[in-house]
Amino acid sequence: MPREVLDRIIEDIRNDVLKLSDVTKKAVYFSIEALKEKNVEKADMVYRLEEESDLLNLDIENKILSAAARYHPVAGDLRFFHAMMKVSSNYERICDLAQKIAEFVKKSAEKPLIKPLIDIPKMRDIIIEMIEQNEYAIKNHTTEPTNSLQNMDDKIDMLYEQIFNELVGIMVKDPKTVPDAIDLLFVARYLERIGDIVAKSGARIVYMIEGRRVWIK
Amino acid sequence: MNAIETINLNVYYGEKHVIKNITMNIPKNVVFTIMGPSGCGKSTLLRSFNRLLELNETARITGDIKLFGESIFDMDPRELRKRVGMVFQQPNPFPHLSIYDNVAIGPKLNRLVESKEELDKLVEWALKKAALWDEVKDRLNDPATKLSGGQQQRLCIARALAIKPEVLLLDEPTSALDPVSTAKIESLLIELKKSYTIVLVTHNMQQAARVGDYTAFILDGELIEVGETSQIFENPRDRRTEEYITGRFG
Ligand SMILES: Nc1ncnc2c1ncn2[C@@H]1O[C@H](COP(=O)(O)OP(=O)(O)OP(=O)(O)O)[C@@H](O)[C@H]1O
Ligand SMILES: [Mg+2]
Repeated sequence: MPREVLDRIIEDIRNDVLKLSDVTKKAVYFSIEALKEKNVEKADMVYRLEEESDLLNLDIENKILSAAARYHPVAGDLRFFHAMMKVSSNYERICDLAQKIAEFVKKSAEKPLIKPLIDIPKMRDIIIEMIEQNEYAIKNHTTEPTNSLQNMDDKIDMLYEQIFNELVGIMVKDPKTVPDAIDLLFVARYLERIGDIVAKSGARIVYMIEGRRVWIK
Repeated sequence: MNAIETINLNVYYGEKHVIKNITMNIPKNVVFTIMGPSGCGKSTLLRSFNRLLELNETARITGDIKLFGESIFDMDPRELRKRVGMVFQQPNPFPHLSIYDNVAIGPKLNRLVESKEELDKLVEWALKKAALWDEVKDRLNDPATKLSGGQQQRLCIARALAIKPEVLLLDEPTSALDPVSTAKIESLLIELKKSYTIVLVTHNMQQAARVGDYTAFILDGELIEVGETSQIFENPRDRRTEEYITGRFG
């Protein structure tokens, strides 16, 4: 096997995944910014980022399939291709969820929020930190930053519970808030899902680097 | 029960230490592949399993090798070689014998058959198993030397099968074969392991991955790693195995 050729392909795919990671971070970030400000331009931006993530994911998938067909990767190479394929399609799904959040914004741009957002942006910030930890691990081939993923995912789950209870309280007090409160519940639920997906992607990256299986609930 | 066990096996050619304290088990009814760079001792290891090494005057062995629990050094070498067949790296048909006789001579000498009819059947069976029958059935009396290199290799496989050994040692059996014959031999190995134990030396990593149940990696006479093939190719434990199979070696 021409090792240099495969090494170049691996670097290329790594860069594509890091690009996709960046797109994903932006999509998550701006979806919540758009919601906070009921800002349609920012919501549109999330739509464009989602399209970009689709293309990048397709590209990564094609490159991995063709490299697998030609070079029959094994051991660390095999785990790299497998992990990048998974991470790539996971991140593409995260962008889908971010787009759904942006959809709520476009649907109700005229209406003010029923409450100021506090915990939802907190969830978002933790997610972005987790994505950055995965990025660091992919870039530097070290698993150390991914050690706290489970912890952070647990924090996201706690915030979700908190938001859930708070919104239920608001709805009980004033039934007119129900449609908007349900939207926010969905947003929180999507963020909780996203946190899960990022944590599971981190587990794939650990397997890629160390060959050690870790389970994230 | 293991088909073959080596216990602290060392082989020397004169002063040269070629197999270094290898202890390993080859379970029965599996394809066990051995890989490693050229000169690491794969052929030497195979030749120790049927005591062919002893024909080499400079070769010296220490340690033990067991065949189904019994030391091969307590056996009659010719009996042993009936139970442990071998296909060599270089095809070596008997040049003065016909295609038919190359396959028939083993069963005849070992009195495995009672009639000419039975012998014909056995020869046909072995040639079919070795994926050669269709190419030679109309010229069974031609000398074996009229066959191409790849056909000669398949003839040697047929010859080994005809003795119905319990263990079949194959040293790079498909290195001279085209992909179609290679695929046939690989299917054969997978079928044969139901009743035999196959030890396969191969330089073809994909072949080891395709047919091996277990894979051993040898480097400079040392057993570096042995395990289930999927583990070796997905997640090798030793850095040297990883470097070898991913082409980063050296
Ligand atoms: N008859 C011999 N006398 C002396 N040294 C030998 C003899 N046969 C092999 N050797 C040496 O023993 C070592 C192992 O040889 P062996 O043939 O077992 O290697 P191998 O792993 O089968 O290599 P290849 O993949 O090239 O077939 C080599 O260094 C070789 O030079
Ligand atoms: Mg050899």
